[in-house]
Amino acid sequence: MSAYLVSVLSEGAIFGIMALGLNVIWGWSGDFDLAYYGYIAVGAYMTLVLTIGPAVAPAHYILGLTLPYPIAVVVAVITAMAVGLVVGSIALRHLRGIYFSIVTLGAVYVMYVLAGQYVPLFDGYNGLSGLFDPMGDWFGFDYLSYQYFFLGLSLVLFALVFLFMWRISGSRFGMALRTLREDERAAAAFGRDIYRLKLKGYVLGAGLGGFAGALFAAYLSAFNPSAWSPVEVIVLYSAVLVGGRGNIWGVALGVLIMGVLVQESTRFLPQLPGLGQLSTLHPQVLLAMRGVIIGLVLVLFLRFRPQGLLPERRYVDPQPSLYIAPQTA
Amino acid sequence: VHEVLVTLGFALVTASILALSAVAFTLEYAVTNVANVSHGEILTAGAYAAYLVHQRTGSAVAAAIAAALAGGLVALAMHSAVIGPFIRFGASPTVVFIATLGMSFVIQNVLVIFFGAANVAYTLDPGAPQQIGPFLLTPLDVEIIASAIGITLALFLIISRTKFGKALRAVSQNRELARVTGINATRVAAATFFLAGLVAGYAGFVLAESVGSFNPYFGFGFFLITLTAAVAGGLGRAFGTLVGAVMVGLILEFAQTVRLPGGGYVSASYNLAFAFAILAIVILIRPRGLFTNARRTVFE
Repeated sequence: MSAYLVSVLSEGAIFGIMALGLNVIWGWSGDFDLAYYGYIAVGAYMTLVLTIGPAVAPAHYILGLTLPYPIAVVVAVITAMAVGLVVGSIALRHLRGIYFSIVTLGAVYVMYVLAGQYVPLFDGYNGLSGLFDPMGDWFGFDYLSYQYFFLGLSLVLFALVFLFMWRISGSRFGMALRTLREDERAAAAFGRDIYRLKLKGYVLGAGLGGFAGALFAAYLSAFNPSAWSPVEVIVLYSAVLVGGRGNIWGVALGVLIMGVLVQESTRFLPQLPGLGQLSTLHPQVLLAMRGVIIGLVLVLFLRFRPQGLLPERRYVDPQPSLYIAPQTA
Repeated sequence: VHEVLVTLGFALVTASILALSAVAFTLEYAVTNVANVSHGEILTAGAYAAYLVHQRTGSAVAAAIAAALAGGLVALAMHSAVIGPFIRFGASPTVVFIATLGMSFVIQNVLVIFFGAANVAYTLDPGAPQQIGPFLLTPLDVEIIASAIGITLALFLIISRTKFGKALRAVSQNRELARVTGINATRVAAATFFLAGLVAGYAGFVLAESVGSFNPYFGFGFFLITLTAAVAGGLGRAFGTLVGAVMVGLILEFAQTVRLPGGGYVSASYNLAFAFAILAIVILIRPRGLFTNARRTVFE
């Protein structure tokens, strides 16, 4: 197995955890949350400041501890959940639809500006680096075998998260979240506490984002605002949409298609006849072409197959005794 | 006192540009009930068109006309290619919101492919600052403020006095009812997008002038401020939006003059974050805008 494939698959597994977390918020709870990448970033940044040791001038950042990686991951996840709790408790109380999306867009922008401009926090635009092969020295791996170890670790963690989500998907909690997505009034009429349920789902999603971010920090061994680019964010949302919102198998398929296949195949665009000269014009062309493709896929899927390739299976009442007209708001 | 007046002058310029952009955005919202996230790209298109025409002809007037036309055509294309079909298909406002987000991303990247991601420097000679009333303004500032007032007046007359304006208001209040009375809602919405695009394209031109440079992401950043002004004034309410724009313009400029406890000033790079803080507060307290009596509901 080539080193390239190992790297792609590790990234894909981490990406899968990110997508499963987004699926809790967007897929099940039904809220289009634009702040989600912020929780990934919080997870990544926190993992780094807890493991890479004190800042050496001219760098500035908070904490600067040298905790063992697994403990740092736990703290990072808790921090991401705490930030999610703050944003969620503001945004979910009264707001739905585009108003929710706009407030979460604002929240992520504030996080982005703080991380990128407020230097004492995470060293501003330079970002953090220096987390090399966490846990590698526990087992005495060399560079190459560590790559295989990290791939195995990411895949196992992805499988565990997937199993966890599979359990939640069929649980009372998972069902209740979907009820809120379909009809909040009906859920409220059956005694559901809408706000608490939504907030629980939101914090769970944020925690998964933070967890994926902590792994992402180990994969990249660094994190800075440019790892937070719009293209990464849009790929994540398109993966969940293309696969099938609400269906974890669909989300996994979407990650495979958008996160791995499209992301990696666009690397080979310049080798196509005629397109090769284009990329000699300036270096951003390739990234921009990838962006155009992913944006178009997002719009076309929304229009022609909004349920995704593997739609969520819906419960159908075998004996509908009373027809209730759907609410149109 | 003098410093306050200087800041007030800057704020008037910012507010004028913001008012143009926000009124255009709110008109787009009024006829579709959809927040067009790709609104900022209309401004970006206007800026590029103005730059290219200015280079060829050397005339600022030609550049302004080109910016408006480019904006109008881009907005019309947005409506006919994406927003209109989604609405006819019966997509929910949130779905169209996401689709316009995708469209904005596509347009930004297309611009990067053709023009590169680097900043393009673009300045007109602003002329020497002059004392006008209590303010110190350059002739360029005066032109920006005057044109914003003129365009807003023209929009007011179109919306309140013409048959098209009547149709626009009808579609905005109740699309289905408007259609029953024989108004072609799709055509009215398309025409409104063209009109809003003309205004937004021109706003892109004056924004590029006043900032001095632009790049493919320039409109998106300004869109975020536009959104604040439009929501503060009440989405879809053209004249509430004007007040919202002036208010947000004032707050943003004055925020930069506040001296921090440790010395120094609030950096302009926090501007957008600051705008969003205002936005979040407005949405939470009065989601339908500051100037309306409508009660908020949980089920927005």
